[in-house]
Amino acid sequence: MDKGRLLDIFRHMMLIRRFEEAVYDFHEQKLFGGHYHLYIGQEATGAAVMASLRGEDRIFSTHRNHGHLIARGVDPKNALAEILNRADGTNGGRGGTFHLADASAGMPHTSALVGGSVPLAAGAGFAAKLQKSGGIGVSMFGDGCFEEGVVFETLNLARMWALPVIFVCENNTPGAVLKSAGGNNTSNLPEGRVIQIPEALGMECHEVDGGDAEAVDSLFADCATRVRETGQPIFIEALTERWPGNYFSFPSRVTGITQVSMAWDGSSIAGEYEDWFRNHDPVLRFARQLLDRGVANSGDVAGIDVEVTETIEAAKEFALSSPVPGTDSVYAHVLAGEG
Amino acid sequence: MAVMTHAEALVEAIRECMDEDPNVALVWGSLMGVGGNNEHVDHIKADFADRIFHPPISEAAIAAVATGAAMDGVRTIFPMGTASFMFRAWDQIIHEAGAAHYMSNGAVSIPVVFHVVHGLRGGGSVQHSQSPQSMLWNAPGIEIAMPSCPADAKGLMRTAIKSNNPTVFIDHQKLNKRSSEVPDGSYDIPFGVADIKREGGDVTIVAASLQVVHALEAAETLSTGGIEVEIVDLRSLVPLDEEAILASVGKTGRLLVVDEAPPLCSVASEVIATVAEKGMDLLKTPPVRVNRLPVHVPANVVLEDYVGPNTDRIIEAAKLLCH
Repeated sequence: MDKGRLLDIFRHMMLIRRFEEAVYDFHEQKLFGGHYHLYIGQEATGAAVMASLRGEDRIFSTHRNHGHLIARGVDPKNALAEILNRADGTNGGRGGTFHLADASAGMPHTSALVGGSVPLAAGAGFAAKLQKSGGIGVSMFGDGCFEEGVVFETLNLARMWALPVIFVCENNTPGAVLKSAGGNNTSNLPEGRVIQIPEALGMECHEVDGGDAEAVDSLFADCATRVRETGQPIFIEALTERWPGNYFSFPSRVTGITQVSMAWDGSSIAGEYEDWFRNHDPVLRFARQLLDRGVANSGDVAGIDVEVTETIEAAKEFALSSPVPGTDSVYAHVLAGEG
Repeated sequence: MAVMTHAEALVEAIRECMDEDPNVALVWGSLMGVGGNNEHVDHIKADFADRIFHPPISEAAIAAVATGAAMDGVRTIFPMGTASFMFRAWDQIIHEAGAAHYMSNGAVSIPVVFHVVHGLRGGGSVQHSQSPQSMLWNAPGIEIAMPSCPADAKGLMRTAIKSNNPTVFIDHQKLNKRSSEVPDGSYDIPFGVADIKREGGDVTIVAASLQVVHALEAAETLSTGGIEVEIVDLRSLVPLDEEAILASVGKTGRLLVVDEAPPLCSVASEVIATVAEKGMDLLKTPPVRVNRLPVHVPANVVLEDYVGPNTDRIIEAAKLLCH
C-alpha cells in the first residue's frame, strides 16, 4: 500500500469536489451562461485513472470534463477561467465548460458531441503506436456513448489495428432509487449491458466500482501496464452511483456543500440524501477508507480539505479577474499558420 | 386570435396533424431544445402514446429509420435538437432522404420532417451553435423552412408534415419563448411564399428565422433616422420566393441580406446571386450581406454576440447602403 499515492488521489478528488462546487456557484451567479455538467460523484474514477498516466499519454474527455482536467493536474485557475470564458482559460476562453482541454497536459481536444472523443483517443493510440512513443490513448466517456455508431466502429478498429487505448466508460445511469424519482437513463439498451459490446469483439474487459478510488486505481494501474506491454486495447466499465444533483437537466446542489467531517462524524447525516452520504459519495467513502486503514487521521483529511479549499479560493479570484478576450481575437486560429 | 409562444404554436401544429392523420409519428427528442421548453408537449405524449418513440442518442439511425418508414407513408417528425447534431446524420439526410425520390425515378417519396434548433443560443460554443441552412441548401431534394414567428411556425409546420418531400424545419432557440398572435383554427402556410413583415421604400432586408426579429428591431431605429425598411421574411428557402425578393428590390433599389450562417456560400450569397442574375438593373447600389463572421462560435457570450449578425450590425449596414 502506497500511502502517498492514496493521499494524492484523495487530494485530487477533494480538489475536484471544491472546484465543481465553485462552478455551481458561478453558474448560479450567472457568471457564465448555457448548459453545463458537473463531475460530482465521479471523482474516484477520474482521480484514480490519472494516477497511472504519464506525460506521453493522451486523454480525451467529454462535456463532463472538469474533473478529468483537474485530476490530470491542470491548474484550477486556468480551468475555472475557461469556464468563465476568460482570456486566461485553458482554451483562451473560446471553448467554455463543454470543451476544457490543455494540449500541454496531454489533453489536446475535448468534444462535447456524444461519443465524439472516443475515436480521437484511439487516434492518440494510433499515433503512439506509429511513433513508438510509449504512450497510450485514454478515452473517458459516458455510457450514453454506446447509442452512437461511431463508438462501436472505434472499438472494432482498436481491436483490428491493435491500438494501445484504454476505454473508460463511466456508467452513471441512475440506480433504481433515482429512476423511481424520475431520473432518466443515460443509456438505453433493450437488454444486457454495454460491456457486452466490447466483449463481443474479443476485447479485454473489466468492470469496477467507480465510486471506489482504490479499486479503480489498482485495476487501472494494472491495465495501463498491460496496454503499454501488449499494445492491445482494454475496456473498463466504472459503475458509478449518480450524484442526486445530476438527474435534472441542469445540476442542482441538492446535497449541499460537502462536509468532510461526515466521514468520521455521522451524527449530522440525516434526511433525504442520507444514503448518498453514508454509502455513495465517493469523497466520503474514500476518506472513510483512509481513516479505517490508518492511512490518514481526521486531522489529515480536514487539512487536505483546507488546503484544496484555499487553492480553489485563489483560483476563483484569478478567474474572476481574468479579462474577457478582445473581440479581434475571434479571427485568430481559424487556420494554422495564422493569428 | 390567441397569443402563444413559438414553441406552443409548433406543438399545436404537430398535435393537429397527429389528430388528422394516423400516419403521423413523433420521435420524442428535445423538440424545443434544452432549458425547460418541453412542458407544452405533455398532452401530445398522453394523447398519442402509441405513435411516439423515445430515442436513444442515435441521430444517423433514427434519420434513416424515419426515411425508410416514409417510403411506406409514415410521416415521422424527428426533432434532432441542436442543429449541430444533424451532422451526425448527414449521410442519411442528404444521400437517403434527399435522394430516394430522385433515385427511384419518382416512384418513392419521403415525407419526413427533421426539426432542428439553429444558431447562437448564448454560450453554445463551437459544437452547439451551427446554422446548417446554407449547407442543406446546397443539397438537392430537401425542403427547408425557417419561421420567424409563432403564426408562421404553426402554418409552416403543418405544411412540412403534409409535404411529400423531406423537410428540414429550422427553428431558433431564441425564438422558442417569444410570443405573438396566432390565427384560430387550422391553417397551412405554403412553402415558397415569403411574407412582407414590414413595408418601406428605402432598403429591402431579406432575412429568415431570428434575423427577421433583429431586422424588425433595426427597422424601428432606422425609421427614426428617416430610413424606411422593407422586410422580406423568406419563411422557406426551398422553394424560394424569388418574385417577392425581386419585387421588393424593384421598389427600394437597395438590398441587404441577413443570415446567421457564415458568409461564404451562405443564404445571403444565394439571395444576392439570384438578384444579380435576375434583377441587376433593379439595384441602385451594390448589395450587402450581414452574416455570422467566418469563424467558429466562441463560448464567451460577448464574443458570440460579436461574431453573430445582430441589430446593431444591421443598422450600420443599412445606413451605409442608404448614404
